[in-house]
Amino acid sequence: MADPDLDFTSGDAGASTTYPMQCSALRKNGFVVLKGRPCKIVEMSTSKTGKHGHAKVIFLSYFCMAVFNHLVLVIGVKCSSLSLQVHMVGIDIFTNKKYEDICPSTHNMDVPNTKRNDYQVVDITEGFLSLMMDNGDVREDLRVPEGDLGKEIESKFAAGEEMLVTVLSAMGEESAVAVKPMTK
Amino acid sequence: MMAAVGAPEVISQLESAAKVLMAPPSMVSTEQRQHAEHIFLSFRKSKSPFAVCKHILETSKVDYVLFQAATAIMEAVVREWILLEKNSIESLRTFLLTYVLQRPNLQKYVREQILLAVAVIVKRGSLDKSINCKSIFHEVSQLISSGNPTVQTLACSILTALLSEFSSSSKTSNIGLSMEFHGSCKRIFQEDDLRQIFMLTMEVLQEFSRRENLNAQMSCVFQRYLALANQVLSWNFLPPNLGRHYIAMFEATQNVMLKPTESWRETLLDHRVMDLFFTVHRKIREDSDMAQDSLQCLAQLASMHGPIFPDESAQVTYLAHLVEGLLNMINGIEIEDSEAVGISNIISNLISTFPRSVLTALPNELFASFINCLTLLTCSFGRSAALEEVLDKDDMVYMEAYDKLLESWLTLVQEDEHFPRGCFVQPAVQVFNSYIQCHLAAPDGTRNLTANGVASHEEEEINELQEDDRELFSDQLASIGMLGRIAADHCIPLLTGLLEDRVTRLHGQLQRHQQHLMASADPGTVERKVLDDLYEDIHWLILVSGYLLADDPQGETPLIPSEVMEYSIKHSTEVDINTTLQLLGSPGEKATSIPGCNRTDSVIRLLSAVLRTSEVESRATRASLTELLSPQMGKDIVWFLRRWAKTYLLVDEKLYGQISMPLSTAFGADTEGAQWIVGYLLEKVINNLSVWSSEPELANDTVELLVTLVEKRERANIVVQCENWWNLAKQFASRSPPLHMLSSTVQRTLMKALVLGGFAHMDSDTKQQYWAEVLHPLQQRFLNLINQENFAQICQEEAVKQEIVATLEALCGIAEATQIDNVASLFSFLMDFLSSCIGLMEVYRNSPETVNLIIEVFVEVAHKQICYLGETKSMKLYEVCLTLLQVYSKNNLGRKRLDVAAEEDQYQDLLLIMELLTNLLSKEFIDFSDTDEVFRGQEQSSGAGRAVSAADVVLYGVNIVLPLMSQDLLKFPSLCNQYYKLITFICEIFPEKIPQLPEELFKSLMCSLELGMTSMSSEISQLCLEALSPLAEQCAKTQEKDTPLFIATRHFLKLVFDMLVLQKHNTEMTVAAGEALYTLVCLHQAEYSELVETLLSNQRDAVIYQRLADAFNSLTASSTPPTMDRKQKVAFLKSLEEFVANVGGLLCVK
Repeated sequence: MADPDLDFTSGDAGASTTYPMQCSALRKNGFVVLKGRPCKIVEMSTSKTGKHGHAKVIFLSYFCMAVFNHLVLVIGVKCSSLSLQVHMVGIDIFTNKKYEDICPSTHNMDVPNTKRNDYQVVDITEGFLSLMMDNGDVREDLRVPEGDLGKEIESKFAAGEEMLVTVLSAMGEESAVAVKPMTK
Repeated sequence: MMAAVGAPEVISQLESAAKVLMAPPSMVSTEQRQHAEHIFLSFRKSKSPFAVCKHILETSKVDYVLFQAATAIMEAVVREWILLEKNSIESLRTFLLTYVLQRPNLQKYVREQILLAVAVIVKRGSLDKSINCKSIFHEVSQLISSGNPTVQTLACSILTALLSEFSSSSKTSNIGLSMEFHGSCKRIFQEDDLRQIFMLTMEVLQEFSRRENLNAQMSCVFQRYLALANQVLSWNFLPPNLGRHYIAMFEATQNVMLKPTESWRETLLDHRVMDLFFTVHRKIREDSDMAQDSLQCLAQLASMHGPIFPDESAQVTYLAHLVEGLLNMINGIEIEDSEAVGISNIISNLISTFPRSVLTALPNELFASFINCLTLLTCSFGRSAALEEVLDKDDMVYMEAYDKLLESWLTLVQEDEHFPRGCFVQPAVQVFNSYIQCHLAAPDGTRNLTANGVASHEEEEINELQEDDRELFSDQLASIGMLGRIAADHCIPLLTGLLEDRVTRLHGQLQRHQQHLMASADPGTVERKVLDDLYEDIHWLILVSGYLLADDPQGETPLIPSEVMEYSIKHSTEVDINTTLQLLGSPGEKATSIPGCNRTDSVIRLLSAVLRTSEVESRATRASLTELLSPQMGKDIVWFLRRWAKTYLLVDEKLYGQISMPLSTAFGADTEGAQWIVGYLLEKVINNLSVWSSEPELANDTVELLVTLVEKRERANIVVQCENWWNLAKQFASRSPPLHMLSSTVQRTLMKALVLGGFAHMDSDTKQQYWAEVLHPLQQRFLNLINQENFAQICQEEAVKQEIVATLEALCGIAEATQIDNVASLFSFLMDFLSSCIGLMEVYRNSPETVNLIIEVFVEVAHKQICYLGETKSMKLYEVCLTLLQVYSKNNLGRKRLDVAAEEDQYQDLLLIMELLTNLLSKEFIDFSDTDEVFRGQEQSSGAGRAVSAADVVLYGVNIVLPLMSQDLLKFPSLCNQYYKLITFICEIFPEKIPQLPEELFKSLMCSLELGMTSMSSEISQLCLEALSPLAEQCAKTQEKDTPLFIATRHFLKLVFDMLVLQKHNTEMTVAAGEALYTLVCLHQAEYSELVETLLSNQRDAVIYQRLADAFNSLTASSTPPTMDRKQKVAFLKSLEEFVANVGGLLCVK
């Protein structure tokens, strides 16, 4: 039995970047680690081999980090009820390279610890964002994301608009994933 | 008439245009193609093109140009009919017919088009007495008697073209004439010409059926005429006095039952007609294409009904002849694959068409042979269907035929009181036996057996979208279950014996595996074949047992089927109750090992056979053999137990005229048996939830069984006395394994069940303790968490996020458990959470998945509770919903996201918000709130200080939703429906708010209404029409002219007017459109008169003008001047009905 009095006060120093969860308990819209990368599950379904076979979970998911946004992974998880090796299928839409792997729904998958924080943009220099942290410090190590979002941030900044960006972090990586004008 | 001058130029122009059109896409540009199309279009519109067309037909060698010339003639004849000399029309028709006759090598599509032009001329002429088009039948019969196959084929094409033209179906050409015209033509045609065609066809068939040898060409002609006969027999006869349904006539011509008018009596009641079709079929049955037509003709004859029969005895004679013919045809032949569906159609048609009294009036011997034949056919088709499945055929003809026959059995036995007692028992036994046999493995059954032995079928991938057998084959299973009840004496013991045997074998098999596993560590050597065969046997036996023992009616209390009850009563004197209870109470033992097991109630023994299966499964899980078990069998077991429990558990004696002692002793209220079985089921549920968390469907079926146990108060009272129930509640509240590994939907339903159980009868201490175990931990944990000072810092930690998500899921489950008698306490409990959830919206504003879940909680609460809430409570809910929307709006305004899931997330949010708004509005329609009853003493005096109204919340919500609704998003059907439901509700409930909307919002609302009315499904169109009346009434109330709403309604007047008067519309929509039209007319009387005037002034025909003018006058006669008065409106709607019946067909043009 788990300790009913969960301690929510401890900080996350030294915490693992992932934790295990049974396949069947994963949620659509939630996160999972596939191919060592944090992914967002956009579709989950089950399948079985033969009418009396055991369930397997199939994920449709995307890498959740902006930098890898162009890499779409379609992960199909298959298994036979007796052999327990893992067999997944994934396709990189640019290289058409396939990954293969299998896993039954009784198995545990790693779920990344994710965090989202909103920071105010104070400057943009040479493709890097200057972001104001909660404690007033400014960090300057985050790139302006590629694509439409990056352009949006740059044009807003050029127009002198104040804005917040949402920074998603998982498994030691970080990326800006959303932008919103400041409302005061 | 235009001379043929310039014809060569026209021809060369057309020919080069045809070349462009026929060229491959890469060779010509889009512009060239469009230009070429334009040339043909304007050619077809040219005035009196007859001479040119004749010239083209005689000289051009380009098929496509010939085709266009024929089309041009057809269109021009109809267009210029009144101006043309009657004899020139006549000569044109002769020319076309002769032209085709002289050119046997014409391309088929050119020939058909020319014949179509002939048919159109004949049809247009049929109402014009000055032209005699009857001669065509004379000509055709001459062609037929020529004996030349090519000419005969041509004759057939002419008749087919006539038939299509006169059928007033989708096949009919568009010639711009009124529906009334089409209807009259059809009616005249079917009384005379159609019969003439039929007689001609019969002559040809007669002729061919006499011939010994048919060569390929002749056989081809034969086939054409057979198809023609089928077309005649499938004619959708128009009843003689049909007023208003001209518009409905243009519906599909498929699956038409034969209902000829009285004038056909002599023709179709002549036995020689039917005999001829039997003869024809016997002759050609090996040709699968032709056999389909001949059987279809017979099936049509088997569906014959209506005024053609002078009395019942005529019907009996006809049916007797049909059945005799059918038996003669079937007996002594080996049925071809291609005949199966056709034969089953004949049988199914005759069983569903002829009344029981006619069937029972058949000579006894004939009826008996018919039933016997039907039995043999059903069994044989069933076996062939099973074979088709094994061979994995694409075209499952036997399955289709088998389904049809089983359906016919259901029709027969459902009214078996009309038939001699017991006459269906033996047939039922045979059909039932063969079904079971086909579904069991060898040696008892024939599953997967082919001519070459057992088929080794590969295990295929099955995804979750594939229906379970219990749904996929529900029709078959319902029929088989019904037949099983008819022959309960045979079928119930049979199922019991087979199931007990399989369970014993399964038990032995699993034990052997266990020993084997203990001896060698390698699981790879386990042979699953034997196990899978057993699982599949058990699967089917349980499904059939479930369908036999109980029904699953939606929304009503299922009763024990009377046949089953009678069966149990009949044998109750031979039954030893104690042994029966012992057998029931010892699922771990072999049934046959119990002394006196043959003196037990068979209905209970069948249940206990399933319990034995369940016990073997549970023990295997305890012995860690879960890997070897079949989740499918697990699903079957809980599915059966749920179906069984709904019907048999705590059987209410008041509902039955007579009740079986064994059943009431074992499962009645206050019996030990009932208590024992509740305890057993509960244990099963708990075991399943811990063992099968990884099988979502099985877990779901299991938790649904739990809901069944607690959703009825009487059952819940027993459930909450079980210690296991309390353990389950505590375990779930502690959020520890294994329950927290269940999928979120299962957890939600589990929460729902636990809450439902809390409203069972308990003393107040116990009840308090129960809630302290179930709901309070949830609240406590949640409050402890969010009230922590550093919540903002730790809210992103995984443990915290999981806690929040679990709480939100649980809240949805609690809301789902709402019933009228618990809403008071659940509402107060949930309200506390809802306020905190708003705070969470802020904290998790950048986590779309959490935001989505929070909105869902609100949707569920509003959905389940608003209809019970009194004013003050509703107000509270409105307020909190408004705040939610404000926060959502603030956080999402201008937000832009990058990830690929952004659009999907937003779509889900929108859908949920609209659902929420619609749920809030639904209060105005469905309101069960009775403050005295539900919130005794809790409701304070209301009304004063009304802070927020539903209108405010909803309009605020619409402000958020409308700007985000794009045409693209409306392509999602669920979103589109929800959206239109919402805006219609708003117009109906708060019309006074509409003029106050911001301009942009108002405009898009009106655009949405117009779009929905004109270019969406009829359901949505109806919704939009319903929204118009309140808007018009609103305008009338304020009396302000030139407001945007006033102008908009004027535009809608024209739209609705056109829709009702000029367009083909769904008759169901007449009422909605009529109401809208009336209120709009009241508002814009001058504009309405103008519309009528314009319409009338376009009529050139004086008679039609007068009819229309009269019709419009009487339409508004009872309501002049139109005022928004209910009585007048009703009068108008009534007149409108007559108006549509009277002139609707006149203005609606095809």
